[in-house]
Order: sequence, then structure tokens, then C-alpha cells
Amino acid sequence: MADRRSFLAGLLATGLCPTRGWADLGNPAYLAAARLPSGKYALFGLSNDGAPLFQIPLPNRGHASAAHPYHAVAVAFARRPGTFALVINCTSGTVIARLTAPGGHHFSGHGTFSADGGLLFTAENDFENARGMVGVWRTGDYARLTAFSSGGIGPHDLKLMPDGRRMVVANGGIETHPDTGRTKLNLPTMRPNLTYLSLDGVVADQIEPPVEWHKNSIRHLAVHGDGRVAIACQWQGDLSDVPPLLATHDGGAALAFRASGHGYERRMQGYAGSIAVSRNSRIAVTGPRGGLALIFDRSGQFQDTITEQDICGVAPAADDLAFTTGLGRVLFPIATTWVTREHDLQWDNHLIAIAG
Amino acid sequence: MRSWKAAILIMIAMPAWAETPDIAGIVDDHILPGYQALAARTAGLADAAQADCTPGNAHLNTAYHAAFDAWIMVSHLRFGPSEQDDRAFALAFWPDTRGATPKTLAALLRDQDPVVRSPEAFQTVSVAARGFYALELLLYDPQFQQNEAVGYRCTLITTLTQGIAASAAAILDDWEGGYADLMRGAGSNDTYRSPDEAVRQMFTALSSGLEFTAETRLGRPMGTFDKPRPNRAEARRSGRALHHVTLSLTATRDLAAALSGGDTDLDAAFGRAINRATALDDPVLATVATPEGRFRVEVLQQSITDIRQQVAEDLGPRLGIATGFNSLDGD
Repeated sequence: MADRRSFLAGLLATGLCPTRGWADLGNPAYLAAARLPSGKYALFGLSNDGAPLFQIPLPNRGHASAAHPYHAVAVAFARRPGTFALVINCTSGTVIARLTAPGGHHFSGHGTFSADGGLLFTAENDFENARGMVGVWRTGDYARLTAFSSGGIGPHDLKLMPDGRRMVVANGGIETHPDTGRTKLNLPTMRPNLTYLSLDGVVADQIEPPVEWHKNSIRHLAVHGDGRVAIACQWQGDLSDVPPLLATHDGGAALAFRASGHGYERRMQGYAGSIAVSRNSRIAVTGPRGGLALIFDRSGQFQDTITEQDICGVAPAADDLAFTTGLGRVLFPIATTWVTREHDLQWDNHLIAIAG
Repeated sequence: MRSWKAAILIMIAMPAWAETPDIAGIVDDHILPGYQALAARTAGLADAAQADCTPGNAHLNTAYHAAFDAWIMVSHLRFGPSEQDDRAFALAFWPDTRGATPKTLAALLRDQDPVVRSPEAFQTVSVAARGFYALELLLYDPQFQQNEAVGYRCTLITTLTQGIAASAAAILDDWEGGYADLMRGAGSNDTYRSPDEAVRQMFTALSSGLEFTAETRLGRPMGTFDKPRPNRAEARRSGRALHHVTLSLTATRDLAAALSGGDTDLDAAFGRAINRATALDDPVLATVATPEGRFRVEVLQQSITDIRQQVAEDLGPRLGIATGFNSLDGD
């Protein structure tokens, strides 16, 4: 174990890559995948105000992507259950590497770089064993180094913690198998959890929702600058139960569930699509099925809603938050209002902020 | 706080009006008769087990098949009373990807666990060892026929069937005792705040019922071309796998007809799928193990996919149910 640890630590020091930085591309603020009017798919780089700065074709529908912290490199993940992810040089538009999930694994559609960009972590489903995994890739040549348990079943999102030394994984608890598509195989017994792992896979902490909400799948994550975690859930029980879809975790023993208190969760139909935390710690949870997003303050108090059809992507903006919708809109903040830019596109589930 | 300012450039085309199906009619003609049949037949099953719990006795077998049929006919109606206290899961724990049902049953038999002596105590047993799929193992799997503890197994079978009957009765009681009125009166209560919400619930039942039949009932035994999994066919020990496909298509066809106002194209698509299922003549889907057999099951699966597509692309929009890029993605 010590050997592997020092091996990984050594790799962290070798972030050697000839790629140019994001500045050369006009400092895009976001990455987002979309479906084009032609029915083809592409990854876009967007400016602060939602204008496209670059566009790179994708072979299929994307899900989330990950932006390298320094180099203009993005990893575009296929939609779950996907077996590939493309590492794209966003300056040239060329595919640097094609990551293929090892046999018996699927990508969940989410991944994250280490703080120095030397490693890439991917959330994966080891479907024959119904075991969640984190794949570790070296970004120099995008070789797969190792994989370790995610600490639960059905990991979906995973994020790096601000200390750069741990990651947090949303183990959704739902077992799926490629033979049965996205069919959920274990709803009566599902047990989601939030797991914190060191970068070499040692579980540091693990928290489950209370038993009565064991069907509230922990799905997407956003991390505040101080390390508090905001969690967007997807309810797998009956829709006449209306559990909160936002939970927060501040390192304590339990998750704190945060309801809007206005019944907006009903309109969201048990389904939160994405989550983000702004730099001033406002939390947004999007609900494409209800066509609305909920905004909470840093303490989890409900503040506001945004009504917008098929709203799903959300990311921190320089000031506050930005959103994308399946109808092609980008909503970005200017002064005290949200401004809409329309594209003849369908924005995919996630809007990813590029660091720096 | 940022105020919302709509900088709208283009109006999004919305359907001028959406059809509203006859919600009360669906409750009275589709849902309630289904649960009434389930309650009656599961009570009959409990009586039959009480009279003679010996696996293989004709009376018990007949009652088992009749009650299981009734469950499959409502198995797409996964909302409201069926989801309270995990009743539906306690009736039907399948798929059992981890083999929890045989494991839990074997442990009960091995330990002669006294929990089976009362139906109330038995409610505390894992849902994996309750319901139709557990009963099927006890009645049809050779592993559970060899057991020495005949008396204990008899008690287990009897209690298990009583539990099934109790869950079915509880679901029916809730439907008749108020939930049916909530749906009929959608728009005047907090469970269904508008008729649209009730319609959406029924539409979801239709589409997820079809999805389950295509992807799980057929998809699990199909496995992959290189690795078919005939042993994963649903209720194969009692020869019911294909029968479940036909029954669930029949039940969802009825719901689809009511929701669509008798759409003949949609009904014809159901007819084609049911004919294909009937023509398969492979009760436990064992032929998925051969390339030709697998191909035939794939054709059946495709015919259900065709129905699902019509439901999503034609029926959904007609009912005013948004078919968004992200809202439908479900990830």
C-alpha cells in the first residue's frame, strides 16, 4: 500500500503536458455538451455570458465533462452507461486520448482531475459485482493506473475536495446492469451513501441518509470553498412522499436535508438534475421535470426559484450562478438580473465551470 | 436577491391544449378491478395453502397461478397504496440480483426461525423472502423440496401466503378507502393538485410498466449475445416467464387505450407485440441460449420498444407531458 501511495505521489509531480492553457481560447468559463439541430452532438466552450468560444464534435450524447485545471484539455464522458470518454485538446479540437472503461466497468458520466492536473478520477460501475469503483488515470499519457472501491453501489458524481487530498463520491445506491439498460435492480434494498476517500482510495468518512429515506439516491455533488458538500438527490420511492432533494454535509455525523418549505419539491417530481455552489456559497438545485431551479443560501435556507423549461445544467459564475436548459438557453447573471442567451441547441444535463 | 428578468427572444411553441383522459374511468375500470382481483385471488391462495400446503398439490398450484396472474396484471401500477410500507416489494421482490430470496429462505428453514409462526411477526422478515417469488421457490424449486423440515416449510408457506393476501388486501383497502377518490378528485386535493398530475402518474405507470417488461422481463434472460442468461428468466421454475410478458402487455394495452382515447395505431402496436409473444411458444424463454431463439426474443423486445416510442413521442405530447431533453434523460 505504501508503495502504491508513493507511486501516485510521484506521479502528481509530473504534470508534464505540452498543451496550451485556457487563456489561449479566450478564457472560456464553462464546458457544456449539447445536441445540435442536425442530431449530432458536440462539446462547447462558453464565455461568461454564454457565447460559444469553441465547438468540438462528439460521437454520441455526452453527460458531464471535466476541465483540466491548467491546460485547455477537457474530458467528455459519454452518457451512462458509457464505456468511453474522450480527452480533448480544446485548442486544436483533436482527441488526445480515448479512455475505455475496463471490461465489466461502465463510466457513470462524471470524473474529476486532481488539483495539479496530474491524475484523472472517473466514477465507474463494476456491474458484474454491483460494486462502485473509482478509476485512476495518469494525464501524461492517459494510461489507467489503478482503480479502487468507491465505498458503495452505483457511484454517479465525484468531486475533489478543496484541500486537494480527498475526493467525495455520491454513491447513488442503485444497482444497474448493461443487460437491462438503466433499469434499477435493487430499489427495495438500496442504500445510498456519501463517501470521502483519499486519492489512493482509503475511506475517510461515509454517511448514509436516515433509513426512512434510503430511497433518496445521492446523485450529484457540489463542494463549497470551505469543504462543505451540497448534494442533489433523486427520490426512488412513491411520488406522494415528497422528500427534500437537497442535502448538505459539513463533516458531521449526519446529512442535513433542506426543504424549500414551499412545496417546490413536488413540482420537481422527486428529481434533481444537477447542483452547483456559487463563490458566495449560494446553492442551486435544478429540476428539469418541474422546469424550475431552487436556490438556497449558504446555511441551506431557501431563497428563490427560477422557472425555466427543462432547466438542468448549473455552474458557479464569476458572480453567482449560471444555468443551461434543454431548450438551448443559457442564463447568466448581470448586475441584479438573469439574462438569457438562446442557442439553436439542446444543452445536456451539466454545465461545468472551468477553474481560474 | 436577484430578480427574474425574462429576456425572451423567441416564444417556445406550446400545445394549444392537451387531452384529458377520463381519470375516474381508468380508476374504476382499470385500477380497482385489478386490485379487487388481486385481493380475491390472494385470499384464495391463502385458503388453499391453509387447506393443503404440500408443494405440488393441484389446488395450491392453481391458486398460486391465479393469484400471480392477478399481480402481474397490476404490477405496472407502482404508485400510491402499493408503495406504502413497501407492499409491492413485499409481494414481488424481483429481480433478485444478489440471490437474496433463496438465501433468506434457506436461513429460515435451516434455523427453523419461529418468526414464521405468526403473520404479524413474518412482516419483519426481509421482503426478499416474502411474496410470490419466494413462494415460487418453496413450491417449485427442487432445492426447497428436499428439506427434511416438512412441518416447518408448511408453516412457512401458509404464513407467506397469508402475508401476500394481507398486502393485497391493504392495497385494495387504501384504494377503496380514499386513494381512488384522490385520483377521481384530482385538482381538489394535495396528493393530486390538478388532473394533469393524475394523468402524469398514470402515464408514468404505463411507460415504466412497458420499460420493465422490455428491459427486465426480457432483457435479463437475454443477457448479451455472447452470454445469454436463460436462468434469469422471471418465475421460470413455474413456467411463467413468457406468460408474464403477455399479461403485462395485456394490462398496459388496456391502460394505453384508456389514456389515448382508443388510439388504434397504438392498440395495433400492442396487438403485434402480443402476437409475437404468443408465437414464441417458449414459456421460460429458454431459447435465448441459441442465436435463433435469441433473435426471436429480440424481435419481441423490439416490438415493445416500438410501443414505448409511440407512447413517449405521440401519446406524451398529446397529454401535455413535456418530453424534454433533460427531463426525460433521468440521469
